[in-house]
Amino acid sequence: MCPHPDRQSVDYANEYLSNALSIGEQMLRSGAEVSRVEDSIRRICTAYGAERVDVFTITSSIVVTISGKTFGTVTQTRRISGLQFDLRRLERLNELSRLIAQHLPPMEKVEEALERIRTTPGHSFPAQLGIWALISASFTLFFGGSWLDAVASALIGVLLKYADRGLKWLELNGFLAALLCSGFGGLLSFLAVQWGFGDSVEKINIGNIMLLIPGIMLTNSLRDLFNGDTISGLLRFLEAVLLSMTIAAGFVAASVIGG
Amino acid sequence: MTILIQLVTAFAGSLGFALLFNIRRDRLFPAAMGGLLAWGVYLLIGPLVAWDVPRFFIASLALTLYAEIMARMKKSPATVFLVSASIPLIPGGSLYTTMQYAVSAQWEAFTTQGMNTLLLAGAIAGGMLCMMAILHVCHRLYLLVRQA
Repeated sequence: MCPHPDRQSVDYANEYLSNALSIGEQMLRSGAEVSRVEDSIRRICTAYGAERVDVFTITSSIVVTISGKTFGTVTQTRRISGLQFDLRRLERLNELSRLIAQHLPPMEKVEEALERIRTTPGHSFPAQLGIWALISASFTLFFGGSWLDAVASALIGVLLKYADRGLKWLELNGFLAALLCSGFGGLLSFLAVQWGFGDSVEKINIGNIMLLIPGIMLTNSLRDLFNGDTISGLLRFLEAVLLSMTIAAGFVAASVIGG
Repeated sequence: MTILIQLVTAFAGSLGFALLFNIRRDRLFPAAMGGLLAWGVYLLIGPLVAWDVPRFFIASLALTLYAEIMARMKKSPATVFLVSASIPLIPGGSLYTTMQYAVSAQWEAFTTQGMNTLLLAGAIAGGMLCMMAILHVCHRLYLLVRQA
């Protein structure tokens, strides 16, 4: 009857806890709030038979202790690094965690599904270039730029994506990378207007700033704060505000130094 | 004409972010509509409220309500709709002006403008949090009524 004769063992507990943590880790990296991550881990572990589940999550770490009469107490922690927002992945992880809690599939199936979600590629590079151009042009027009400004902004958006890729490859500190990227953008818009390709440096820059500002981080930090996850909320909020100021400063600095 | 351009670009900008965050294809349109709605509400209440801060607050209330409803209907995390819809409200223009004052060492103007940026961001946050609290209370009340 029972497909897992060792369901009561410590090894089994360690295995499902590790899977639950992997799901939580991927969720946090894809842009989930802390409470969602904690809920999912709790739900999965309870479904597999843990009697007590204590989860503590902050932006950079997850700690889980589960306990039950048959296996005693098991603790695992996971260090989280590198955000990579992907809301489709988040939805799929959400569905997976629900499916696990309902149907308790065998471990291999869960690992397979996780691997499939993890390795699903995002948009291709050319598609990303198009998206960056669309966002830049839209917000330049939104803030009152001319059509020529919008075209300049879109082209600069494309170049910024290349710059972003280069900076990622260099593995620079996040703030320095943001400063360099936005400084480059500011310089380009300044040159564009100097050469008559664009009317207002300011409008072009604002379109590009909207592109780079960490909006998802800001909204998530607020939701974390509201849910009572104060540490995570404050950390992310501070990071988002500092990053936004750095980006805006980078764009302004280039045009001020230029003229 | 300006209004039309703003609404269309709010939609397009939100759509861009929805694509950037790799939202599922069938959620793209509602997510982008959220951005249009947020800015539409902002523009609509213009004649009633002159100051930007309460206007941002009300727009934020509306977009959070919309995002939560869409999340229930499409059975996906509210983040999916909240993030892309709130983008047009982010005070990028005000932030840019603030930093312009900072770089040209006009500290008084910098303080005023910086305060304005912070207040706008606070209004968005406040709107989201208020609507979430209201919905939370409604949900609890609904559960209570269903139990009885």
